[in-house]
Amino acid sequence: MRIGVFICHCGSNIAGTVDCPSVAATALTYPDVVFSTDTMYACSEPGQDAIIQAVKEKNLDGVVVASCTPRMHEQTFRRAVERAGLNRYMFEMANIREHVSWIGKTKDLNTNKAAELVRMAVEKLRRNRPLFAKRFETVKRVLVIGGGVAGIQAALDCADGGQEVVLVEREQSIGGKMAKLDKTFPTVDCSSCVLGPKMVDIAQHPNITLYTCSEVESVGGYVGNFQVTIRKKATYVDWSKCTGCGLCVEKCPSRKHPDTFNEGLCTAPSINIPFPQAIPKKAAINAASCIMLTKGKCGVCAKVCPVKCIDFEQKDELVTVDVGAVVVATGYDLFDWHKYPQYGEGRYKDVITSMQYERLLSASGPTGGHIKRPSDGKEPKNVVFIQCVGSRDRSVNRPYCSGFCCMYTAKQAILTKDHVPDSQSFVFYMDIRSPGKMYDEFTRRAMEEYGAQYVRGRVSMIYPQDDKLIVRGADTLAGTQVEVPADLVVLAVGAESARGAVQLGEKLRVAPDQYGFFVESHPKLKPVETNTAGVFLAGACQGPKDIPASVGQGSAAASKVLGLLSKKELESDPAVSRVNPGRCVGCGKCVQTCPFGAIKMIEDRFGNPKAEVIDTVCQGCGICTVTCPQGAIQLEHFTDNQILAEVNALCPPKMFANFE
Amino acid sequence: MSQLDTLKSAIKDRLGELECVIGWEQGYDPLHATPLFIRTEADLDRLIIGPLAVHNLATYLTAYKGKKIGVVVKGCDSRSVIELLNENLISRDDLVIFGLCCDGVVSQRKIRAALPADPGFVEAVDISANGLKITVAGQTAMLNMTDILADKCRTCQHPNALISDVLIGENRQSASSTSLACQEEFEAKSDAEKFAFWQETMSRCIRCYACRNACPMCVCRDYCIATSRDPLWVSQDNSPAENFMFQMIHVSHLAGRCTECGECERACPVDIPLMLLRRFMNKQVQDVFEHQAGTDLEQTPPLLTFKVEEERINERGW
Repeated sequence: MRIGVFICHCGSNIAGTVDCPSVAATALTYPDVVFSTDTMYACSEPGQDAIIQAVKEKNLDGVVVASCTPRMHEQTFRRAVERAGLNRYMFEMANIREHVSWIGKTKDLNTNKAAELVRMAVEKLRRNRPLFAKRFETVKRVLVIGGGVAGIQAALDCADGGQEVVLVEREQSIGGKMAKLDKTFPTVDCSSCVLGPKMVDIAQHPNITLYTCSEVESVGGYVGNFQVTIRKKATYVDWSKCTGCGLCVEKCPSRKHPDTFNEGLCTAPSINIPFPQAIPKKAAINAASCIMLTKGKCGVCAKVCPVKCIDFEQKDELVTVDVGAVVVATGYDLFDWHKYPQYGEGRYKDVITSMQYERLLSASGPTGGHIKRPSDGKEPKNVVFIQCVGSRDRSVNRPYCSGFCCMYTAKQAILTKDHVPDSQSFVFYMDIRSPGKMYDEFTRRAMEEYGAQYVRGRVSMIYPQDDKLIVRGADTLAGTQVEVPADLVVLAVGAESARGAVQLGEKLRVAPDQYGFFVESHPKLKPVETNTAGVFLAGACQGPKDIPASVGQGSAAASKVLGLLSKKELESDPAVSRVNPGRCVGCGKCVQTCPFGAIKMIEDRFGNPKAEVIDTVCQGCGICTVTCPQGAIQLEHFTDNQILAEVNALCPPKMFANFE
Repeated sequence: MSQLDTLKSAIKDRLGELECVIGWEQGYDPLHATPLFIRTEADLDRLIIGPLAVHNLATYLTAYKGKKIGVVVKGCDSRSVIELLNENLISRDDLVIFGLCCDGVVSQRKIRAALPADPGFVEAVDISANGLKITVAGQTAMLNMTDILADKCRTCQHPNALISDVLIGENRQSASSTSLACQEEFEAKSDAEKFAFWQETMSRCIRCYACRNACPMCVCRDYCIATSRDPLWVSQDNSPAENFMFQMIHVSHLAGRCTECGECERACPVDIPLMLLRRFMNKQVQDVFEHQAGTDLEQTPPLLTFKVEEERINERGW
C-alpha cells in the first residue's frame, strides 16, 4: 500500500504548539508511508488540491490528514480523496488540534503525541478497504414534536414546502408558552393575536395532521425511514363529534383542580377547553378530578352534550406513522423557584412567577386582565420584580443565562404602569442583557418613560409586614442595603429543559447536555441539526430562546427537512456491521442487543442458524460487535483488527517489538 | 429405595424417547468419575452419583442440539442449564432433566493435597457422610469431607436442582456462608501483589484451553476468538501477558453468564485458580445488575439486552 500523510498547520492553531515539519518527517518512517508533507491549511482549496495532486503523482492509494476533528472536516477530505479517484473510505484523519495542540502546551510532548496519533491513523488505514454506499428511498413525511411557536413554524413551513406533517403536542391545545403570554416584547403586541392565526393555519392546512394530548411513545428506524408510535391519551371526549360549544365546561360540577393553563392561579372544571383560542377547540376530561371517572357517578357533561360526544370508556390509542425526518421542538419549562429560601419557598401568596403575572395581565386570564394580587384581590401599587431566579446561579445548578427574562421583566414593568397608572415598579437585576433589535431601547423605555426603578443587586430575603411584603436586597451601585415594601413580588424565573425531554431524547437518540437541553450538531455551523441524521432541533429545547429566535429556528429546521426530503434517495453509510457466516455460531446474542432491530436470524444452506445485518437499518453503533463472543460480527471501517492495530501502534505488544 | 435406584428407575422410564441420558460412572479408578452416556438399560448399571460425580454435564448439551436427550444435574449444574435456556442455546422441549439434591462434591485437588503422596491408582474408596476412606497400595487413609469439599460447595446457595422434570432426593439446606477465605485473601492483596501473583500464575498456563472446553457457557468452541487470526485478539505467544489476555477474554465473555460451576478451575491441569477471576466478576455483576446467572428461567442476562440507561448505573447524574 502507498500512503500519503498531510500534516496541517491550521494557521497557528496547530503549528503554534506542534512541530508540523518534524511530525511529517517522522511519518515518513511509518510502514507503507511513501509521501509525507506539512501544509498550511489542508482544508483550503489549495490544500485539497495538493492532496489530489499528490495522490495522482505519487500513485497513492490511501491518505492520512492530521488536522482538526473529523466532525469538522472528515467529509471535506473524503470528497477530496474521492475527487482524486480513490474510494472515500481510503482516508483517515488524525485529530492533532482538539486532541493535541489546543490542550497541551509543551511543544516536544505535543509533537510526539501528534506523531503517535498519525501512526495510529496510518496503521488503521493500512487495514481499510474500499466501501460503497447503498441507496434507499425516503418517506415524504415529517414529524414535529411540540406545538409551541417553534414547532408551529416548523410544521407550517414544512407543510407549505409540500411535505406531509404530523404535529404532536403533549397538551390539549397547541400554542405552547407563547399562548399564555399577554403581550410580547419589544413591540408590546398581543401575543395571542400574532400566534392565533398561525394556530388556525395548523388546524386548516391540508398537509398537517395534528395530534394533541399525545406523546411520542417510541421511535424506530433511521433517517428517511423512521417509524414513530404516538400515544393519543384518552380525553374521554370523541373529538370527531365535539363542536367546542363549551356547554359541558359550563355545567361541570367538579371545578376544584388547579388550572394549569392559568398557572394554578385559579381552578378549572374537570372537563375543560383551556383557553378561547385553543386549537383544536375541543373539550377534554381531567381523569384525576372527574367525579364520574373517580367515583363512578355524575355524567352531567354527557347529559348536557348536544352531540353526545362524551365517552367515559375511552382508552389511550397508539398510532403508528412512518416519517422521513423529525423536528424536535419541545420547548422549555420554568425553574421551580421553591428551592430558594430567601423568596419564602411558597409561604407568601403574593410572591408569584412571571408566567403567573402574565396570566394576571392577560384579558383571557383568571382576572380578566385586571391585576389583582392572589392574597386579597387588591390592586397592587408597588410591584417588585426579581430577576435571575434560577438563572446565572451555580448554587441551584443553573449557571446559564435564560436570555429572555430581562426583556420580559421590562415588558411587565411597562404593562404594570399601563394597567395601574399610579403604580411603581422596582426591578432587582444583576445585569441587563438586551442584545437584539430594539431590545435595549425597550428596557430604557421601561426605566425612562415608565419610571421603573432598576436596582442592581440581589434580594436576600422577603418577609411579611402588615399586608405588605418587605423585599430586602442590596443596591450594589449605591453600596447600600435597600428595603422595598411591595404589594406584589414577581419572580423572573429562568428556563430549564422541558419535563421529559431527556427521556424523549433517548427515544430519538439525541443527547441532552448537562442541563437537559438537546445538543446541536455544531454550536455555530449546525445549530438545528443533531448528531442523529434526520432529527432536527427548533426553539428552546436546544437552549433558552425568545420568540423571534424560536421562530427563526423553526424555519431553519424546516428548511433542513425540506432539503433532506427533496432528495429522491439517500445514501446509507457503508460503515455498518457485517457478519462473517463462517465464524457465526448462531447464538443470536447480537439480535438481542441490537437497539435498532437491524439483525435478523437466517438459515444457511445447511439449516444452521446465522445472523444477518440489515444494512440500511444498521446505524454502526458497534454494540453487536462487542457482544459477539467469537468476533463474527465486525463493524466495517472499525473492525477489531483495525482498532487493535491502532492500540498496537500506541503500545506495541512484546512479541512484535521483539521481532522488529 | 436409594436415591441412585430412584434415579435409575426414573431414567429407565424415559430412556425410550431419548437419544441418550448423560450421567456419571466410575472412571479409571474408584476415586475418579467420568461422564456416562446412557443409551441402553444395560448402561444404567454403571451409573453413579454422589460426591465423586463432579462434572457439570450441562457442558455437553449444546453439542446435542436438535436431539432429544436427558441429563442428570446437581444444583450448580442446573444453573448452567437455565442459563443455556435463557440464551436460547438449547431447547427445553429437547431436554429431560433429572435433578439431584446435592450434598456437595469433592475437590480432587484437595484430596491430592490431603494425602501424603500422589495416590496414583486408588484401589478402593468407601464413601460415608463424614468423608472418604481411601485405600492406596494397601494403606487406608480417612479424609474428612470438610477438608476435601470443593470450594463452590462451601458457599453453595442452590444445592437442589433449580429446574428438573424429575427431582430426586430431599431438599438440602444451602450453605450458611457466602464468603470464601481464599477469595477474600486474594482480594485483600495490593495491586502490586496481585500483579506479581498473576505474572507467576499465568506463566504456568499452557493454553491447552481445557478451561474453555469444560465451560458449559463457552459455546463458540472451534470459533473461539482466542484461536482466530481475523480478528486477532490474542497471539500464539505463550507469555503471561497473552495468557492473561486470553483469560480476561474468557472472563468478560462470561460476564453475567457465569454460573460458578467451577469446571474451568477443575479442568485446569496446572492448577490456575481461575475462579478468583470469575467470582470477582460475578460479584460486580451482582452489585451492578442484581443478577445471578442461571437462577431464573425468566430473566435476561444483563449484557444481552440494550437499555439506554441502566437502572443502577447513573451515567449522567440525572
